[in-house]
Amino acid sequence: MSTLDAHSWLADHGDYLFRVARRQLHSDELAEDAVQETLLAALSAQARYSGDASPRTWLTGILKHKIVDLIRRQMREVEIPRDAEGEEAVDLLFKQDGHWAEPLRPWGNPQAEAELGQLRRVLDECAGRLKPAMAQVFSLREVAGMETEEICKELDISPTNCWVLLHRARLFMRQCLELNGFSKAGTA
Amino acid sequence: MKWIPTCRETTELASRSMDERLPFADRMAMRLHLAICENCARFNRQLQDMRRLFRAETAADDDTPGLAPEARQRIESELQKKLGS
Repeated sequence: MSTLDAHSWLADHGDYLFRVARRQLHSDELAEDAVQETLLAALSAQARYSGDASPRTWLTGILKHKIVDLIRRQMREVEIPRDAEGEEAVDLLFKQDGHWAEPLRPWGNPQAEAELGQLRRVLDECAGRLKPAMAQVFSLREVAGMETEEICKELDISPTNCWVLLHRARLFMRQCLELNGFSKAGTA
Repeated sequence: MKWIPTCRETTELASRSMDERLPFADRMAMRLHLAICENCARFNRQLQDMRRLFRAETAADDDTPGLAPEARQRIESELQKKLGS
């Protein structure tokens, strides 16, 4: 059974919560907002803390919702599935007849070769080239491991739009990673 | 969708298969294409590589910068405001 001490939250969990948020939002500013909103919401919700989970786990659960809230707010501004620019960018990857325009280069064995810091840098850099909401939905799914159904529901977008969004994000991310040194002589 | 999907269609199926189990016909169509297309087979493996790498990275990562001092101060004062109210 754990107890809560709101005065130590920021000192004990601030950096942790920030890193989790930063990895999904790809923005310092938004990640700071997420931490602040989480701690303020936690203050109001203290009475509902049951003590079954550790304070960090409890706070991280609140953070997850705040991250999705922040992404949802951004998505109102960019309607990706109906975004013609995104469709055109996909068109460039393929020929008219549906074949790849350029052959894909092999990645070698990325797990063995990629330094963690390098990987983080490249992911961030590539996320920066995607539309923010697209990069964020990609990271909710591929970094945070949230279920697609839950993502669609929380972001209030149809499953079809969700698939379109993830498909484009994966196409662009893959291409960006390849251009940023993921392709090595190898067989993968 | 035709019996054997195009590369573009196959990438849609491969992406969707990362999110849910495809209907039988789509699954077979995708496999048929992957068996004869090196690029799409590579695309499919790389989708799985991305997930494996990024999820592993998240678990291991703990030395990235934390909250900036100014942000920490700002949040602290917001918390104090609320605690005091």
